Amino acid sequence: MSSKHIPVELVDAGGNSFYASERKIYPRDVSGRFQTWRKIAVVVLLGMFYVFPWLRWDGRQAVLFDLPARKFYIFWLNFWPQDFVFLAMLLMIAGLALFFFTTIAGRLWCGYACPQTVWTEVFLWMEQWTEGDRGRRMKLDAAPWSRDKLLRKGSKHALWLLFALWTGFTFVGFFTPITQLAARAPFEWGGWETFWVLFYALATWGNAGFLREQVCKYMCPYARFQSAMFDRNTLIIAYDPMRGEPRGPRKRGMDSVLERARGLLEQSTAYDYVFRAAHHPTAADAAVQARGGTAIADVGLKAEPLPKFETEQLGDCIDCTICVQVCPTGIDIRNGLQYECIACGACIDACDEVMDKMGYPLGLIRYSTQNAIDGKPTRVLRPRVFVYGLLLLSLCVGWMWGVGHRSPLIAEVLRDRNALYRVVADDQVENSYTLKIVNKEVKAQQYRISLLAPHDIELSGGSRIVDAAAEEVLTLPLTLSADDDVEGKNKVTFVVESIDGQARQEVPSSFFGPVE
Amino acid sequence: MTDFTEPRFDHPPRSMSQRLGAILWPSFFSAGVATMVFFAFVDPLALRDMTFPEVSVTRELGYTIGFFMFWLATAGSSLFTWILLRPAARFNKPLPPEK
Repeated sequence: MSSKHIPVELVDAGGNSFYASERKIYPRDVSGRFQTWRKIAVVVLLGMFYVFPWLRWDGRQAVLFDLPARKFYIFWLNFWPQDFVFLAMLLMIAGLALFFFTTIAGRLWCGYACPQTVWTEVFLWMEQWTEGDRGRRMKLDAAPWSRDKLLRKGSKHALWLLFALWTGFTFVGFFTPITQLAARAPFEWGGWETFWVLFYALATWGNAGFLREQVCKYMCPYARFQSAMFDRNTLIIAYDPMRGEPRGPRKRGMDSVLERARGLLEQSTAYDYVFRAAHHPTAADAAVQARGGTAIADVGLKAEPLPKFETEQLGDCIDCTICVQVCPTGIDIRNGLQYECIACGACIDACDEVMDKMGYPLGLIRYSTQNAIDGKPTRVLRPRVFVYGLLLLSLCVGWMWGVGHRSPLIAEVLRDRNALYRVVADDQVENSYTLKIVNKEVKAQQYRISLLAPHDIELSGGSRIVDAAAEEVLTLPLTLSADDDVEGKNKVTFVVESIDGQARQEVPSSFFGPVE
Repeated sequence: MTDFTEPRFDHPPRSMSQRLGAILWPSFFSAGVATMVFFAFVDPLALRDMTFPEVSVTRELGYTIGFFMFWLATAGSSLFTWILLRPAARFNKPLPPEK
């Protein structure tokens, strides 16, 4: 038996079991350029969500997904189940747009547009109104229950709950005419309406109030595959270690490295300092307990502790850890690009504020590319940009052309399934069909039905004209007849055309005569 | 004070066959059960008549298509689960160098 040493280690009980639940993140409030853009995005996107169902168009709800009638209305467009292909194309366009913009500018979607981010932002505002900023929220959570705590927590949840319920109501309003829904609220709602209002409210409350960044880190597939679209020319939120390292507090009055003899560090030295700092955090870093240490956890590499630096050797990072405190996913951006980063730019705004106070040039953390950070030129036009861009463009054009050139008429013919053919008096053979005509337009139409067929196969009763109301589906029984010397399978074509000549459909089918 | 920056234990990546097995086998099993339950109540021919009546489909083909559609869905779900359960270290790698 070998006497191999097995490294057994006691995991301390201070909430540090490997199965510990996530520590709560208390993002510190911050303002700045990127936060302003995020607020604008919140207002625009949520504005669309809450306002659209109330808009009217042509006497109906402008945006309505009428599931019972199987029809979607989006402003001037209406979609039928037969237009399913356009929905599928729309999803492809959305996917490709995500790829395209991710390749160029990183996770714009996550930072500005994802419903998870947007609703979390609003819930955070409400949390700040009732419980205060980061420090006060932490203190409040740690404090024993008191009248003040009960009031603050209670009003937060009351706000959240009201907002969530309104969100659920709006959501259902996309599927049921919202004015009627409002008039019947809430005691005359149907069972399913009530269920979906409550369900969507609960989902909003849970996701935006409690799960928050955990949705991005543990539930979102995009966070996991976005790296496939990233390269060194993609815009990312990046810390400049050449300028910032070695980090450390200092007295006021020292100039930025950009204005001092020290200048920028050499790349390998700078990244080594980051690596070592991550493994031997300073007291300040350890106190904010940033996650994402795995980003620099190179297996087999041992991080030596950092030496003590002279003040003149220090870089521009004063190690104030504000960038970690403002991060909604609780990571330390100084450790480099991490999949947890949702590119919200809070750390940029926070760091710029600090740099400004120190009298240093802004942009120690900045929206930049890896190449630019490493002092290399950035290429925007890359093969993948062209591929995604062209695919996206052609799909968009195809979609618009397709939607614009949809036939306003659908005609389908179903053969009678009970009998192939029927022999009737006068040596005639008959076949029965059901013709389905859908008038997709929102005005009444008249259609002429006629037949193109070989031999002397005829439409019993001859060509005829039928009326269809706006968006009406007609089901017409039709009979074709011919002499019984018509044998086997014969191709026939039903022609349906509108009287105004705007729409015409030919529907092929078969006419069967006796075999042998 | 616990040092949270210490890298935690990550299981090394499993072999491709283990990964494929863990994704395809449970989904195959679920698809089988789903197919049995579904077609115990739904006749593939009735399903055809209400969807694509022009296409000639036999019952056997209907069962087969049904099974593979179920498997596609369950395997997709298994794949998703696998991606979400991969540890962060597999994703947090430096950007690849430029060619």
